[in-house]
Amino acid sequence: MIFSKCYTFTKRTLGVLLTVGGLLGFAAIFAVDIIDIGREGGIGPAQRIALGVCVALTLIGLSLIPLGKAQA
Amino acid sequence: MRGRSLISINRILLTAALLILAGYFVIYGVYAVNLMQFPFDYDQGEGFELVDTILFSQGEFPYRDTDTYPFYSSNYPPLFHVIAAPLVWVFGEAYWYGRLLGFLGTLVTASAIGYAVFREGKRRDIALLAALAFLASNTIYHIGPLFRQHMTMVLFETLAVIVLAGANEIINPRRRRWVIALGLLLIVAAGYTKQLAVFTAAAALIFLFIRQPRRAILAGIGFTIVGAAIFVWLTWATDGEWWRQAIRANVNLINYDQTVGLFRLWWGLHGFLIMPALLLVLYELYFARLSIYSIWLIASLGQGALSGTWGGGDSYFATSIAAVCVLSGIFAARTLNRAWQFSDNYLSRIFIIPFRRFAPILAASGLIVPLLYIGYGRAVLHIPTQGAVFENIADVLNLEPNALNGFYDSATRIVGGYADIGHLTTQADIDAGWRIVEIVRMSDRPVLSEEAAFNLLAGRDVITNPTQLLNLSLNGLFNGDALIRMIDNQEFGAIILRAQFYPANVLQAIAVGYEPSETIPMNGFNYIILRPRASASP
Repeated sequence: MIFSKCYTFTKRTLGVLLTVGGLLGFAAIFAVDIIDIGREGGIGPAQRIALGVCVALTLIGLSLIPLGKAQA
Repeated sequence: MRGRSLISINRILLTAALLILAGYFVIYGVYAVNLMQFPFDYDQGEGFELVDTILFSQGEFPYRDTDTYPFYSSNYPPLFHVIAAPLVWVFGEAYWYGRLLGFLGTLVTASAIGYAVFREGKRRDIALLAALAFLASNTIYHIGPLFRQHMTMVLFETLAVIVLAGANEIINPRRRRWVIALGLLLIVAAGYTKQLAVFTAAAALIFLFIRQPRRAILAGIGFTIVGAAIFVWLTWATDGEWWRQAIRANVNLINYDQTVGLFRLWWGLHGFLIMPALLLVLYELYFARLSIYSIWLIASLGQGALSGTWGGGDSYFATSIAAVCVLSGIFAARTLNRAWQFSDNYLSRIFIIPFRRFAPILAASGLIVPLLYIGYGRAVLHIPTQGAVFENIADVLNLEPNALNGFYDSATRIVGGYADIGHLTTQADIDAGWRIVEIVRMSDRPVLSEEAAFNLLAGRDVITNPTQLLNLSLNGLFNGDALIRMIDNQEFGAIILRAQFYPANVLQAIAVGYEPSETIPMNGFNYIILRPRASASP
């Protein structure tokens, strides 16, 4: 369906995409620390900013989902 | 009567805003003409962009092995220099035409911004304000008329975004395909002018994907094939030096304090326009369709995030400033046209419908538009404080110079990475430059100069590109043995330093083998002339 010539993103699908992307990004950033066990210093400034961006993406995504079929 | 008064006040304020921004345009023109008459490097690195252009005019690549004489290479993509190359054939080796190209490019960008705003809002006054606001930005002002490729990248980015903005709504499929192809080709052009255009490429593809995924994927495949083919050809044609010099050497660490400082400065200078631009982004997100301009603004902040890298600076915000000017212009036109429409959803029921009874009062909000531009005009205040007319204006405004060589800049230059330029050059600067050229001419041996102009004007080899050597060195890609051996053997008759951007091992060798003989101030900077140290003779 997504590859149909008529398909366009709705606010809901965009919201779902942003929410999933934000959550996956959030988990991935934490995973960097968990996998990279030998590294010291905890979460650095770049990671903090990236985590903030992921949280913002998730919240924006959640707020878009109720807007339903309106075109994005 | 009350409505008529508001309209009159609005017109007076709009005229005032136009006059303020037109004043900045005059200053910009004076600055550009002044720079075109200055025959030396004004901003660090301009000379090496000229060398790149000269090499292309001779059919050679500037992506070279930096471990063999003359140890020269470049980290910039080729398009800007290729465009300027025919001017070398016609006018010889000079700075003015590169600066003219940069200046004209900003005028085209501003016109495109004005066109985009007019296309959406059908208001000439706001379109003109949006265009002038772009040129009035401190950042655009001081890098616009330089022999640098950055603003040409912004030009291609802006044109691409404007071309793509309405592409999906074109009914004729053949015409739509051509328009999308043109937009994506302009992005390829931007990317091969400067690598930072990758963020605009992302914005364009995301926009196309949201509107019509199938079309976006097909267009994206074509875009990738064209971009990758050029990349592979450049790598092959330069024996891998394109990959080493322009990509691998460009990976640098970020200084977060500088990035945060420049973001705060960006907000401080452009906040009056950023606010309406962000409100329009929110409006489109929740009550209308997302435009490419909104996605472009968000993506362009990625360029800003890289402003803290070595070699980065406030110029990395130029793309976002273009996006802000478009979006704030559309916001302003829509406000004056009272064309806001809010679709019925849970957010409009909370934030819009309960306040509809205040609509008559909000009608006065049209006054906000000129006030935003007037406030912006105050925030970006920059003006030379020397020279016949400027000195009088500075006196009237009670402005004292707070930057190099008699210049007032509201940015105050307390943030790392903010360019120390914007002032006008003088005859004394030109005389000082020719003194240094004479030193190069008088030397019976090659001269190692941190800026290319002196060697070019003396008709001598341009040796090294210090910032690129430093890029390579920071990434472990610069050996330096051959250059250091020449320094140790005192094979250079003189060395000219300004910012001392050479890698540490090169600077150490210079300190051992050479000693300062004189310092020549030019353009607000001290040029240190070093001669072979007698006690260190090989």
